[in-house]
Amino acid sequence: MNGCSYIGQGVRRASARFRLAVYLWLILMVLALLAAAPVNSLIRNQLGQLYFPVKPLQPFELYLVDVFLTNQHFFSSFAGFLLSFLSLAVVLFVFLNAGLFGRMLTPDPVVTFREFLADGCRHFWRFLLSLLVFLPFLAIFFLLYRLLSAPLNLWSRQAVTEWPVIIASNLRMLLAILLWTAFKLFLDLARIIIVHERKKVIHAYAAALRFLRRNFLKLWGLYLLLGLGVVLVSFLLLLSVSFSGSATPAGLFFSILLAQLFIIFRLFARQAFIGLEYIYFLENRGNQG
Amino acid sequence: MEKIRPAVKSFFIFLAILSFIILTGRAQERRLSYEIKVELFPETAMLHGQETIVWTNTTGDYIPDIHFHLYWNAFKNELSTLAREARREKMFSRYRAGKDGRGWIKINSLTTATGKDLLPAASFISPDEPHNPHDQTVLRVALPEPLAPGETIALNIDFQAKVPRNGLRTGYFKDGFFIAQWFPKPGVYEEGRGWNCHEYHLNSEFFADFADFRVEITVPSRMVAGACGQEIEKKEDTASGKTTYTYVGKNIHDFAWTASPRFIKVERWFRAAEEVTPEEYQKMAEILGLTPEEIKLPDVLMILLIEKQHEKQIERHFKALRAAIKYYGLWYGPYPYPTVTMVDPPFRTGSGGMEYPTLFTAGTSVILEKDVLSPEQVIVHEFGHGYWYGMVANNEFEEAWLDEGINTYSTGKVTDLAYGPGRLPVRFKGIPLNWLIKTPAVYDWQLGRIVSSPVAALDPIVTESWKFYNSMSYSANVYYRASTALHTLERLLGEKTWSRIMRTYHMRYRFRHPKTEDFIRVVNEISGRDMRWFFEEFFFSAKDFDCGLASVETRLKPERYNGIFDDLPTKNPGQVKQLQKKNSSRKEKIYETAITLRRYGQAKPSPEFPLKLKVEFEDGSVEWREWDAQTRWVRFEFEKPARVKTACLDPEAVWLVDTNLANNSYSSAGPGVRLAAATSRILQLAQNILLTISGLL
Repeated sequence: MNGCSYIGQGVRRASARFRLAVYLWLILMVLALLAAAPVNSLIRNQLGQLYFPVKPLQPFELYLVDVFLTNQHFFSSFAGFLLSFLSLAVVLFVFLNAGLFGRMLTPDPVVTFREFLADGCRHFWRFLLSLLVFLPFLAIFFLLYRLLSAPLNLWSRQAVTEWPVIIASNLRMLLAILLWTAFKLFLDLARIIIVHERKKVIHAYAAALRFLRRNFLKLWGLYLLLGLGVVLVSFLLLLSVSFSGSATPAGLFFSILLAQLFIIFRLFARQAFIGLEYIYFLENRGNQG
Repeated sequence: MEKIRPAVKSFFIFLAILSFIILTGRAQERRLSYEIKVELFPETAMLHGQETIVWTNTTGDYIPDIHFHLYWNAFKNELSTLAREARREKMFSRYRAGKDGRGWIKINSLTTATGKDLLPAASFISPDEPHNPHDQTVLRVALPEPLAPGETIALNIDFQAKVPRNGLRTGYFKDGFFIAQWFPKPGVYEEGRGWNCHEYHLNSEFFADFADFRVEITVPSRMVAGACGQEIEKKEDTASGKTTYTYVGKNIHDFAWTASPRFIKVERWFRAAEEVTPEEYQKMAEILGLTPEEIKLPDVLMILLIEKQHEKQIERHFKALRAAIKYYGLWYGPYPYPTVTMVDPPFRTGSGGMEYPTLFTAGTSVILEKDVLSPEQVIVHEFGHGYWYGMVANNEFEEAWLDEGINTYSTGKVTDLAYGPGRLPVRFKGIPLNWLIKTPAVYDWQLGRIVSSPVAALDPIVTESWKFYNSMSYSANVYYRASTALHTLERLLGEKTWSRIMRTYHMRYRFRHPKTEDFIRVVNEISGRDMRWFFEEFFFSAKDFDCGLASVETRLKPERYNGIFDDLPTKNPGQVKQLQKKNSSRKEKIYETAITLRRYGQAKPSPEFPLKLKVEFEDGSVEWREWDAQTRWVRFEFEKPARVKTACLDPEAVWLVDTNLANNSYSSAGPGVRLAAATSRILQLAQNILLTISGLL
């Protein structure tokens, strides 16, 4: 099977289970509504009756800053709320990831919400454990990043013009993204093995390492190729969002629609990455050395 | 580069110097002159200098000593006043340097003209509270005998200085140098009060006497140099590979210079006849009550030292400088010096955005957005300091608002006129993202008002620089709150009066050291009103000004009132009955509207300048009310055949010092789609953040 076939099959697998993206989008929407509710209600309360003529005294964004500055005590309490909220959200996301992997790996393309939740329950603890086991690898990730970015830092520090600084800074970011995709690929593969082969977490990580010893470069290449496609589509979507004016009700509706499409696309892309990796794993698992 | 033949160029410089002498002829006789020879050793980042100071006692005091600023000792160790303040502000890492990066200045010898050694009688002092015995930025030199009134003393100083790697406003990186506050400089002697010579603080700038400078700077020939004043000679010594530049600066109070091999030097002329139309002269002359001839501007030679990497931005720099020379000149008075030098400072020298007499530093990036006014605002602002600090030389240690506040106000006026509103920059990793994320276009005064809001109740604007609560309070107060207060004052007094105030203040105190009281005196004199209350509320106290609409209630007036209505003691016994009858018989609906205004902040206006309330009803009728805000609240009631549509406190936006404009208006329709757009964007942001976190897990 060539690279394009892997990507094609991965995307097809994600498309067949598109309903998963919709479930996740809805859950995410509820969570976002909850997280943003205090701020949005404050803004509505303070600016709901604002007089905003054709030639306003200042742009609307500056009124938002006025509200922010005069309610700083609110925002310090809100930060506490947000922290607690995110802690709970992290646990929920592990559960949702378990459900997502469970349904993405099932041969039956028909997905129901009940099955999605059932998979979440089934794999939750092993997914949580896999996250904890991943922490030492995260430390290796940071160590590697520091090592690899050291020459860039040196180049940047010695530069007498701005270009090397900008280039080095962007190369560092690219390096971080590339490294992260490699490590994320590893974590996802371990989870695929957890779900597909019903292995214990440590064994799954060991199996993932064995698999990647022979297949890493090709799989990573495919991962990056798909990533490039995702970046391109995201860029186009973001550009459309930025160009859709929100000064009229129709423009606002269109920009909200595009923004939600972008969220759904991101969720679908996540599915496609899992699909690609799973297909590749199925095709090459005999080749573990 | 503009091509001007050397002879023609010299002729123009001669004319410019001549007009400078005429224009500054009224200035008081100078009591100070400097002759300095300095050589830069780039390999070790060292300076070696010989300085001759001639100082005349123009006061009636007998002066026993002279106090010198030795600013670079602020970067000598971690116990200097500046280092201590930086540590307190958690900004210390910015000025921390390795052994080679520290800066210092050492006087090798200090003698009088007769050869008497004064160094044994010199000691470091700490004049500011709290005292810091470790600070070495002020040196007191006792004189053999007190200097009598009218007497002159000449001092010869040999000094060595190490350029700080990343000092405040000065520094070097590799072979790019920006050299400021580098030579022993006397403080300002104030009659009856002694020396005004403060330590180098984190949040303070400078104060010095006007003087004549002649400075010879020797640098390696591969470097391009620039400095305050005018270059009168350039001698290249091919044997040593060094070049000596000679500069003279008349009637200036500081001297800075720069040298880098990566500079390009470009010259252009500001030709007043091409920049200002007769109509513009006429209009401004009418506003100021002068003749067009009296406000005619001279030509000025503009010199730009720009890093090669920013070569494409040369015209952008000159355009901003032309606008600044034009408007500052028209509003406040002609630029009196023959040249102005604009420096795009050497990369990583920490010296951007700073002013010196006849020279200033800007600073830019290799990638620029078209609609973000950078570096334009910096250029206009730093040139403007030539007026507010350079010529009207207030004490920046003690009353920084007098230059920073007035100049921030002026910068905004120039950029608003020359460019209109600018967008805020959005950058990621040095790459502009304004094409993707559209920030609103804002005027300088709009942004200044917002920036100054959080510090309104923190410190008075008139506070000694090092006594502000923190750096943010210092900068937001002296730059933006002062500027916002001046915008308010302008709107209270009207454009014509205000323009005359500013011009009078500038021209009266040109080449002098005014104080806040002098400014207030001019305001009162020209406006013919006592505006001290304004300064008491907004400059001398830390009071928040926030007046707003507390509530707007409108309801249908009942057709009848229930209850017992008798004829007992009212002025008009029949009135109640009549009213009941009228109410019940009329067909037209009457609405009762009550609008409550509150003064949330402590600051209040003068009863002479009440706030206005504009109320617009659905039938198109408009009502105006005035409130002097002496009480904490007031309620206005209306009976109209229509509901209230909009209500706006201070609709003409006079009171820009109001720290919260979000509570100043009411509209039954609300802001409409903008509010929905804002809340939906917050929601989308939350979605994206949550999705990113979920993807990482």
